Amino acid sequence: MGKNRPIKFRILELFLDGKEHWNYEIVSKIQKEYDMNSAYGRDSINFDIIELASGGMLKDLEQRVDEEGIYKKGFLLHKYVITDFGKVRGSDACVRYV
Amino acid sequence: MKEQESRRRVSKGYMWALFCAVFWGIWYLPGTVIWVLNPFDEMFGAIAETNGDGVSLVVTAALITAFNALTVMLALMLWNGVLQKFGELSRTLKEFNPCSKWFFLASIFGGPIAILGSFMAMGFIGGAFAAVAALLYPVIGSVLAYYWYGEKITRRAAIGIVVIIFGGITIFGGGLATELAAGEVPWIGYLGGLMAAVGWGIEGAIAGKGLDISEPDVGLTLRFLGENIIWWIIIVPILAIVGFPMYSYAIQAFEPLTLLVLIFAGITFGFCYVCWYKSFPLIGVGRGQGIGNLYGFFAVIFIFLFFGDIPQWTILVGGTLCIIGSFVMFTEEATEIETLRGE
Repeated sequence: MGKNRPIKFRILELFLDGKEHWNYEIVSKIQKEYDMNSAYGRDSINFDIIELASGGMLKDLEQRVDEEGIYKKGFLLHKYVITDFGKVRGSDACVRYV
Repeated sequence: MKEQESRRRVSKGYMWALFCAVFWGIWYLPGTVIWVLNPFDEMFGAIAETNGDGVSLVVTAALITAFNALTVMLALMLWNGVLQKFGELSRTLKEFNPCSKWFFLASIFGGPIAILGSFMAMGFIGGAFAAVAALLYPVIGSVLAYYWYGEKITRRAAIGIVVIIFGGITIFGGGLATELAAGEVPWIGYLGGLMAAVGWGIEGAIAGKGLDISEPDVGLTLRFLGENIIWWIIIVPILAIVGFPMYSYAIQAFEPLTLLVLIFAGITFGFCYVCWYKSFPLIGVGRGQGIGNLYGFFAVIFIFLFFGDIPQWTILVGGTLCIIGSFVMFTEEATEIETLRGE
């Protein structure tokens, strides 16, 4: 799998299935794959997702407050889906798989 | 709550851009000082005797820029180490086509064009001029980003950019008018100023292309890796082969005071770039460059404080215009730029 690819590539790759994903699902998946289990690792992966969204490659669909503490208690959880632009950039970057 | 989060993200982006401006402004201090220190002072004199002032200036500027790239690289390696980003660094480096290619391209425009141009302007005309001459680069950056990958420019951002440009022109034009009246214009310095503006504008737009799918800290380090390769493996050896005594002067640079100034330049410039690249994904290339532009003002202030050079009134008026323009962009509604590109 994409273990040796830059983290943002891997995030896009996960979204390339066209389905909607919550940020905490993606973050915990990447944390396992890249062995980044610290709180710092978690936050920097989440920041990568935010950057991809602000770059127009992911679309923020809905949010809910994390009341149960699945990710970070009291913070917003985001659900994203890949955009057309994201598909283009993602396929450029992940040619090996598409 | 969603709005609040988005606003927090955008204001963070502006904050990075502002830090960039402060560091960038400080960078002009070591950048100006280095010219009067040995071996660069001697080198300029020695080459000027045989090849004339113009050639000597460019060759000396090339060696200074090469050292600048080296110390910036050291500062960045430290930075990436602290952030534990070495793993990501090598992962990104391997992706030549989607990523590294863009960063190396950015380094061509950023290094031998923009930074070399800046040092030329500093050496021939002075730090204050070099700083303000490059003020025009957001115009090139924003326009390229808009046409190339359709980055949104809101009306407010456009107005801000225009005001900043007027500020830049005032500062630029003021000095030129005085020198024209005196009948002596150091054209190579002005060429350097122009190179800085064009080079940095193009660099910003190119970097945005590879940056959207990689991490800023990592992307930046790769960009400087590219610049080091260009200087130390291509340009410096070529100049040495052509017959300039590059290596003998390069070795002489290892003396305490010169090294200190070079390291000071590396740190300020390195972190200015870190902040610059960090702001792009959050607020966009156009805005990041626009706020970063406040550096022109900071540079004039720092140069005044440390060297006591009293700026002309045109520089003050222009600087104020730059601040106003940046604040026009700063007060933009956060929701308007939730995503930076059209869908």
